[in-house]
Amino acid sequence: MVKFWASVLGGYPRGRLARYTMRDLDSGVLEPYKGLVELERASALVVGAQLASGMRFVVDGMLDWHDIFRPFAEAWRNVYLDGIIRYFDNNFFYRIPVFRGEPEPQRLVLPGRVKGLKMLAEPAGVKIVVPGPLTMVKMGRNESGLSDYDLVDRVASVLALEVREAVANGAVFIQIDEPFLSDPEASRDDARAAAEAASRIAREAGTAVTALAVYFDSPKPDVYEELIDSKVSLVSLDVGDAPARAIELLREKGCGGHGLVLGVIDARRIHDDSYSNVRDLVAKAIDACRELEEVGLTTTTWLDLVPLRFSLRKTYILGLYTERLAADLGGEAVIPISAKPEPYLAG
Amino acid sequence: MAAYTVPKAFPTTVVGSYPKLPSAQEALRRQRKGEISEDEFKRLVREAIRGVIEDYIWAGVDILSDGEQSREDMVVYFAERLRGYAPGEWVRIFDNVYFRKPIIVGRVEWVSPMALDDWEYARSVSGGRPVKVILTGPYTMLEWSFDLHYGDRREAILDLARAIRREVDEYLARGAKYVQIDEPALSTRPWREEAELAGEALEVIFRGVSAKRIVHICFGRIERILPYILDYPVDQFDLEFKNSNFRLLPYLKEYGYDKELGYGVIDVHSLQVESVEEVKKAIDYLMKLDIIGPEKIYIDPDCGLKRLPRRIAREKLRNMVEAAKLARKEWAGEE
Ligand SMILES: [Zn+2]
Repeated sequence: MVKFWASVLGGYPRGRLARYTMRDLDSGVLEPYKGLVELERASALVVGAQLASGMRFVVDGMLDWHDIFRPFAEAWRNVYLDGIIRYFDNNFFYRIPVFRGEPEPQRLVLPGRVKGLKMLAEPAGVKIVVPGPLTMVKMGRNESGLSDYDLVDRVASVLALEVREAVANGAVFIQIDEPFLSDPEASRDDARAAAEAASRIAREAGTAVTALAVYFDSPKPDVYEELIDSKVSLVSLDVGDAPARAIELLREKGCGGHGLVLGVIDARRIHDDSYSNVRDLVAKAIDACRELEEVGLTTTTWLDLVPLRFSLRKTYILGLYTERLAADLGGEAVIPISAKPEPYLAG
Repeated sequence: MAAYTVPKAFPTTVVGSYPKLPSAQEALRRQRKGEISEDEFKRLVREAIRGVIEDYIWAGVDILSDGEQSREDMVVYFAERLRGYAPGEWVRIFDNVYFRKPIIVGRVEWVSPMALDDWEYARSVSGGRPVKVILTGPYTMLEWSFDLHYGDRREAILDLARAIRREVDEYLARGAKYVQIDEPALSTRPWREEAELAGEALEVIFRGVSAKRIVHICFGRIERILPYILDYPVDQFDLEFKNSNFRLLPYLKEYGYDKELGYGVIDVHSLQVESVEEVKKAIDYLMKLDIIGPEKIYIDPDCGLKRLPRRIAREKLRNMVEAAKLARKEWAGEE
C-alpha cells in the first residue's frame, strides 16, 4: 500500500507583520532581538497553517530570507551581493551572489532556526531547505578563480556543515533546491555536478530524509538521468508546470530507486487546483514508478510568489487532496496529528 | 518647439524607466495611502518627468522617454487602468519591495488613455527631442498577472492586445514617431508556441501603424526564440546584450538579421559605470561583425534604469552617448 504524505516545497510570503518587521529591521529601527520575536510570531502563523492542514514536515516559512541565496551569501566570507536580476520566469528578482574566493562560513544560518521551529512543529517534522550548490553558482557570478564545478564543490562542503548542524539540532528533512536543472541550458555535466554536491550534503544529514528538488519545469531526460544518481533519499519534481513532459520522463527513466515527491499544487497561480487533474497526475506518476512505497505531495514551487491568503489556501488544498488521494488510490495518508508516532518524530 | 535632428548613425535612446525621482516617490507613496488628489499626483509626477528629461539632455540622449515616473510597476500601472482587472494583494518583487499583483477577473477592455499625459508632458519639455511611447505588451501583462477569468491564454492575450492597440491609436493621432512595446516576459519562456502567440498579439497592436514599431525583449534565452520572432511586424528589436556578454550577436549574424537594432550596451544590473572605451568597444564589435549599418543601430541600455541610483544612471548614459559620438565619427564619418 502506497503511503501518501504532504509538505509544502519551501517558503511563504510575508504578511503585514513580517513586512513591517523586515522594514524596521532593515532600517535599524528595530533591535535584532525584537525583530526575531516578531518574525517568530509571523512564522507561527504559517507553521500553524501547515500543521492544521496535515503536513508531515513543516518549514518556518523563511520569512526573513530576501531570496534563497541571500542568508547564506551574507554569512559567508568571500561572497558579496551585487544588483538584482530576474529569478527564472518569475516577476521576482534576487540579488546576485558574487564569489570572490572560496566561501567560508562566518556563522551558521540554519541551526538557530531549527531550534526555534522545533518548538512549534510538533508533531510534524522540521524541514529545512538549502540552495543547491549548482544553482547558486550558475545564478551567481564566479570571480573566485576556481572553475564553476570546483566552486560548486566548495559551496556544497559549506552547506554540508550547515546541514550537519541543522540535523544535530532536530531537522529531520533536508531539501536541496536545484531549480537550475530545469533550465533548457542545463547540461548533463551540470546535472552530474549537482548530483554529486547533493550526495555530499546528504552524507552529512545522518538519519534525516534528504530530497533533491527541481522545479519551474521538468528537467531534460539526459539531465534527469544524471540527477537520479544522487545519493539523496527523494527526488522532488515539479510535475504541475509541464505535466505531459514530467510523466513522460518518469515513464522513460523511472525514479532510480528514489522515493518521489510530486509538485502538484500550482504555487504560482491562485485558482483552486482541480482535484481530478491532480489525481490523474499522481496516478500516472505512480503507475510510471511501480516500486514506490511512499509518495510525497507538494507545491510546484515555493509559496512566496502568491499573496499570503492564497498561500494558506493552497496549503489547505494540498493537505485535503493528499487525504482524498490516499483514499481514492487505495493508499494510506500519513498525517502527523492522527498517525501513530513514527521513529523520526520521537525525540 | 525647437527642431532637433536625431543623428542618422548610432542614435542614442533609452529603454524606458528611470530611477524614481523624489517627487515621483512622494506621489506614489501618497497615492498608495490614498492621501493625494489626482491634480497633486500629476503635479508631482510632472516635476519628476522634468528632472528625468533634464538628466537625459545633460547626458545627450537623442530619443527620450518619460522615465515611467508614475508607474510603480510596468504591469500594475496598466492593470489599474483597464477594465477587467481587479487590484491584487501584495506579492514581493525583491528584498522587502512588493507590488499588488493584479488579477484578471473579467473581459479586458480599454477605458481611457492610460499613459498619454506623461508622454505629452515629456514631449513638451524635451526641447524637440522625440519621446518614445512605451507600453507594456500583452504577453507580459498576462504572464505577470493572475488570471481568474480567461483560463485560455490566447484569448486573454488577444483581448489585452486589442486594448493596447486602442491606447496606441491615441498617440498616433498626436503624431507619435516611435512606439515601443515591452515584452520582457517573452524571453523567460523561450518556446516557439510562446513566441508565435506574442507575435500574433503584436500584429494586432502594429497593423497599419506608420510610426517606428519597436519591441523590447530582455534577459533570458532570447537566442532560443530568435528564429521565431524575426518576422514580427516591427521595425526594430530592442535587446539586451551587455549583461549576457554579447552572446546574442553571432546568432543575429547567423540569421541574417536586417531590421533595426536597439543595441543594449549598458548593464542595468551592475552599479559599475561602463567607461566610454568599454561602450565604444561594444559598438566596434557589432560593426566588425558586419550585420547591419550604423543607421540601423540605436545605442541604448540593456533595459530600464529604474533599479539604479540616479547618479549612476546619469553617468552610464553620459558615457554611452560619448561612445556613440566616437563611433559616429569612426564608422559614419559624422561629427
Ligand atoms: Zn527590459
